[in-house]
Amino acid sequence: MRCSRYGRLVSVGVAALLAATAIVLLWPRLAGPGGSAGADSVIVLRVANWGGPAVDPSFMKIEHEVLAEFERRHPGVTVRVENIPGRGQYVPKLLMTYVAGNPPDVMTLDASSAAVFIDNGLLADLMPTIRGDPAFRLDDFFPNVVDIARQGDRLYAIPSDFTPMVIVYNKRVFDEARRPYPRPGWTRSEFLETAQALTVRSPRRPAPLRYGFNFQKEMPLWFPWIWAGGSDVLSPDGRHAVGYLDAPATVETIGFLADLVRTHRVAPSLSESAAAGVDLFRTGRAAMTMTGHWSLIEYRVDKMDIGVAAVPTSGGGRVTVMYEAGLAISAASPHKEAAWEYIKYRVSTEVQKKVLASGLAISANKGVARSFAGDPVEDAFLEEVPYARRPWGSRVERYELVEDLGREMMEDILTGGVPARDAAARTARLIEAELERQ
Amino acid sequence: MSAERSNWRGYFFVAPATAYLLVFSLLPMAVAAWLSLHRWHLLRAEHPFVGLDNYAAALADPFFRTAFWNTLVFAGASVPLGMGFALAVALLVDQRLRGIGVFRTLFYVPAVSSGVAISMVWIWIFMPQDGLINSALRLAGFAGDTDFLGDTRFALAALVLMSMWGGLGPRMVIFLAGLQSVPPSLYEAAEIDGAGPWQRFRHITLPMLVPTTFFVLVTSTIAAFQLFTQVYVMTQGGPRRATDVVVYHIYKEAWHKFYLGSASAQSYLLFAALLVVSLIQFRLMRRQLKEAAEAWQ
Amino acid sequence: MKRLGMLASYVLLFALAATTVAPFVWMLFTSFHPPLAPIPTLDRLFTPREWAFGNYAYVLSFPELPVARFFVNSVLVTAAVVLTQLAVCSLAAYGFARMTFRGRDALFTAFLVTMMIPAVVMIVPLFLVVDKLGWLNTFAGLILPYPYLSTAFGTFLLRQFFLSLPGSLDEAARLDGASDLQIYWHVILPSSKPALATLAAFAFIWTWTDFYWPMLATSTVDMRTLEVGLSVFKDAYGATNWPLQMTAAVIVMAPALLFFLALQRYFVKGIVMSGLKG
Repeated sequence: MRCSRYGRLVSVGVAALLAATAIVLLWPRLAGPGGSAGADSVIVLRVANWGGPAVDPSFMKIEHEVLAEFERRHPGVTVRVENIPGRGQYVPKLLMTYVAGNPPDVMTLDASSAAVFIDNGLLADLMPTIRGDPAFRLDDFFPNVVDIARQGDRLYAIPSDFTPMVIVYNKRVFDEARRPYPRPGWTRSEFLETAQALTVRSPRRPAPLRYGFNFQKEMPLWFPWIWAGGSDVLSPDGRHAVGYLDAPATVETIGFLADLVRTHRVAPSLSESAAAGVDLFRTGRAAMTMTGHWSLIEYRVDKMDIGVAAVPTSGGGRVTVMYEAGLAISAASPHKEAAWEYIKYRVSTEVQKKVLASGLAISANKGVARSFAGDPVEDAFLEEVPYARRPWGSRVERYELVEDLGREMMEDILTGGVPARDAAARTARLIEAELERQ
Repeated sequence: MSAERSNWRGYFFVAPATAYLLVFSLLPMAVAAWLSLHRWHLLRAEHPFVGLDNYAAALADPFFRTAFWNTLVFAGASVPLGMGFALAVALLVDQRLRGIGVFRTLFYVPAVSSGVAISMVWIWIFMPQDGLINSALRLAGFAGDTDFLGDTRFALAALVLMSMWGGLGPRMVIFLAGLQSVPPSLYEAAEIDGAGPWQRFRHITLPMLVPTTFFVLVTSTIAAFQLFTQVYVMTQGGPRRATDVVVYHIYKEAWHKFYLGSASAQSYLLFAALLVVSLIQFRLMRRQLKEAAEAWQ
Repeated sequence: MKRLGMLASYVLLFALAATTVAPFVWMLFTSFHPPLAPIPTLDRLFTPREWAFGNYAYVLSFPELPVARFFVNSVLVTAAVVLTQLAVCSLAAYGFARMTFRGRDALFTAFLVTMMIPAVVMIVPLFLVVDKLGWLNTFAGLILPYPYLSTAFGTFLLRQFFLSLPGSLDEAARLDGASDLQIYWHVILPSSKPALATLAAFAFIWTWTDFYWPMLATSTVDMRTLEVGLSVFKDAYGATNWPLQMTAAVIVMAPALLFFLALQRYFVKGIVMSGLKG
């Protein structure tokens, strides 16, 4: 061959290209974020959680201390927390890791989407491990909270913390208006009366200066009213919406909520909520709101004087929904023992006390929960616990779609002017069609 | 002898690119077609063959139809408006003014910016009360409380406006190139004949621009049909599905509901629609394109 | 009269420039507002309660959202894609422009047709293919599927350009006994620097700002690219912490913007060169 100089150049180029390709293809094995260890001595335990960086750095500090302590007690294990922020992003993104074959070892299981992971066989059954571990007692936890991750005689997650949904009210606003605080077992009409009395309008501005109630269109936030109204959105087996979402009692509840905005105007319209940007209750522009324990953190920062009341009833008795986070182990995890140690550690009394001192939620550990009692707000939350039922998302895999359609139904009613009965009937049919898909 | 030599070596040159396209373009397309004929849920083990059921279900699904309609409306509005706007700006910058280059560069900046970042800023622009548009309205004496992104009447229009702003740069540059390739002698001759500026524009500029216009039309349409990032960041398909466009709908079908078969069928429906629209555009402009080609000779 | 026309033009130009630039100015100034401050309206934009220059250090140093890692990922992926695109497209363009072989024009038409395919059609199966290869959440998975974005376009661009180069240099080199590869390397490529720069510029921007595929192909934070990382920021800080979100947005946008400003003439002029207009 002639042109040996160029020939060499070409061969060098080709060799470089091959080398680069090899590096690119091999790199994932060398530097990928796998859970397995290169060396035998160090296990990297990957833990998935939602949420992102908390604005409160002291919260992150406690987290780091807790993790560091675990690593100190278990040399050879490094914990790596993987946050997946974004509303509505946690479940699909986490599922993608399962699909991609690199799921975390431990995942935080949200009760509202527990069925997705449980029904698809992605999680390990913890009952054998529990039975074989004398150091762990399932009795330490609230039974109705444990049941969230139960399916038959299998248990897929240990509950960590939870909250029943309640009505939180601004005591100062009540005091100024000389209204008595809500009494236990108060009814919907009493609620409406209270909201009307606390709504302050000004002739000069179209929007009220203060609303009686901060209504929000997201279904998880108005769902308790349905149960308190004595009905439900799905059949007991979770397969049908027609006959339930469009049942008269349910429609009545939905209409009641819509009327708060449309007719009585004690709650902000959807565009007003959007315009406000911030939590109206927190800024004092709403006298009452429906929320969970997590909001207490912000309210404490703002030094608000608040009270807690049960969801007003209308034939459903005293009932509410609870939202909960549990810890589960991936069925495919190669580090199940380390994962179990981690879970036990996180739900232990000492760690729960430390982490939940911030007030984020109620500990599923009975002893820890009661150790925070004594504060009237905390006591009110604890009193609701026996009446709190597990959310539908822990039983029905496709429930996220139900919540999406529920939100759209509320939007249809509030901004589209569709009567509640028609919107509910249409939404029930849509949900039914979705649930029928395999 | 040398013809033979360049024959097989030619294959060597085009081999890498062809291989890429085969593996990462044609293969996925074939797989997508195959997926679309099955019920393929990402987490389930069984993937039964269902023939054209996915296609039929998509066409019958009111939500998919809404997404399709939204996409057509969006393209139907943003493409002509965007093109008209870009042509006007191209005419404006096709002048020998001092610093014109700076302006040309400036108009291109949105096109090279992070789509996510821009979407975040435009959320503010459209916000009720404190947003840019509403603040300006209030300064002018109007009530500034329209929630553009939250109002089913305005949400899609808001996205159209945003796409006009963002798509200006590349379209303007292409039009500019077209404008600058028109021989000035044609304009001079017309001026001598007494033609005014509007007549010059109509009878010289526009016809000469036909190939350019066609290119911008086709590429703008393809892009408009594939709107995604803005919807993902700003509206998530709402309010009440007013901004649910096909690509976003497919995204939710595939990556939130995990029905890959159904999503693939919907993708092919989009592809088919795009082909039909492109064919229509080609047919409509065929005469002008031929005339323009002749005029260029 | 001409003066009036000029004045009118400048007025319009400045007005348009203002609307183009306004969102970026707002982004920049909001990023200096204290976190959790109310949304800056026009009157408050330039006068925050206090100037929070520390936002940048805060965002950059947050361990849970490693901006530096996002940046490195973006750089690696984009550099790899741009380099492979330059190599692959220029080779193919040379083949189409300078060589004859059976099926050449048909193959080129096929290339053009792939440009028309909406990306969404291919992403679902692409995901499955990449998954089967075990490349999800790896650099290979991020880099190698990229050519679907611009291989056809890059080949088209360069081929048009190569066609416009005079064949005299080729012939001279061939008389000297150079092979096709040598002509490609020593004659065509050096004369094509502007076109190559244009392709590099486009490929850079498309890859750097791509969102859909990196979002799907990466499942852990440390593999995310800057663009995807930004949407993670947005989700993490919620809809209420605008200043920090804008800080993140500025950080993400700065490299691409600087790159563009440095190479802007290749964007604006490059299109002319490719003869795309016709």
